[in-house]
Amino acid sequence: MRDWRALVEERLADLALEPEERTEVIAEVAAHLEDTCDEMLRQGMTEEEAVRRALSQAGNWKDLRRKILTEKRREQIMEKRIRQLWIPGFLTLILSMLFLTVLYRLGLRARLVWSGPNAILLYTPWLAGLPLIGALGAYVSARAGGSRGTVLLASVFPALALTFAFLFMFPFSLTIELIAGRPVDFSSVATVLLKDGIGWLLVPGAALLAGGLLAHVLVSTRASSRNTAIS
Amino acid sequence: MIAPGIKRGTAELAVLSVLEDGPLHGYEMARRIEEQTHGSLRFTLASLYPLLYRLEKRGWVRGAWETSGTGRRRRCYRLTAEGKKRLAPIRREWAELFKALRRLTKVARA
Repeated sequence: MRDWRALVEERLADLALEPEERTEVIAEVAAHLEDTCDEMLRQGMTEEEAVRRALSQAGNWKDLRRKILTEKRREQIMEKRIRQLWIPGFLTLILSMLFLTVLYRLGLRARLVWSGPNAILLYTPWLAGLPLIGALGAYVSARAGGSRGTVLLASVFPALALTFAFLFMFPFSLTIELIAGRPVDFSSVATVLLKDGIGWLLVPGAALLAGGLLAHVLVSTRASSRNTAIS
Repeated sequence: MIAPGIKRGTAELAVLSVLEDGPLHGYEMARRIEEQTHGSLRFTLASLYPLLYRLEKRGWVRGAWETSGTGRRRRCYRLTAEGKKRLAPIRREWAELFKALRRLTKVARA
């Protein structure tokens, strides 16, 4: 008597589901193959031929594994993405914007770095607080089980959101200027874009990332030391 | 034989239709569909079980382990009230599609 369960288990070895769910799927697929094989035997085939035919009728195992995972984990994947990226990402975005508003209300203004035509406006008090906000976003994402990439993405989320806003805003305002018939100096637009890009996207992004990286290192070090203590 | 692309769209209707007659496990379902369509619709494991899991998530079918007379455990699927409710509009849609295709391509006379 063939062990269909072992055979299916071997072919679906990478089926990353919860143990109970995985056992159920393997048992169900094994039962299907067993019934197929029995039918072939009833038709007069040898056992070897029946097993071969049953397995060939099963189709592509890689395809089966991928499709089962997609169906079983569709909601889990969405839920994970929300907890690991969207919630911490929007948290960092809201906090960084709130922080900026508070600083502005307190009368703390942005400062020019360098003098002359290459001066860049940097909001230094805001930048000083961003690593903390980036670290908080990274911590929330890491606590939800986010991978390194997701954790860092969550920490720099405000810079990414601002980049999208910039990319949308500039062509939009340029189009308005052109429609209104006002002359557009493209070289000065490019200079403004570069300066604002550095002052409002690149440097804040780096500050957020620095905090995110630090939080990630701290969380992973704590997790690995806890694992060592357990083992 | 029907091309896989066309078959894919009909799979949901095929499964819900055979379950309308009573609960069935996966193998029985595939065999019955093949028999009733004279071999035109054949399910592989990769086309049947992911579809059953999807229908189960939607609440259109419900699977439960049952022990047969021979002592074998099989996961039997039954159509839920929601599934029964959904089957009628799906049938109507397909009937409309076939009617439209017949008018357009004169498939019936081919």
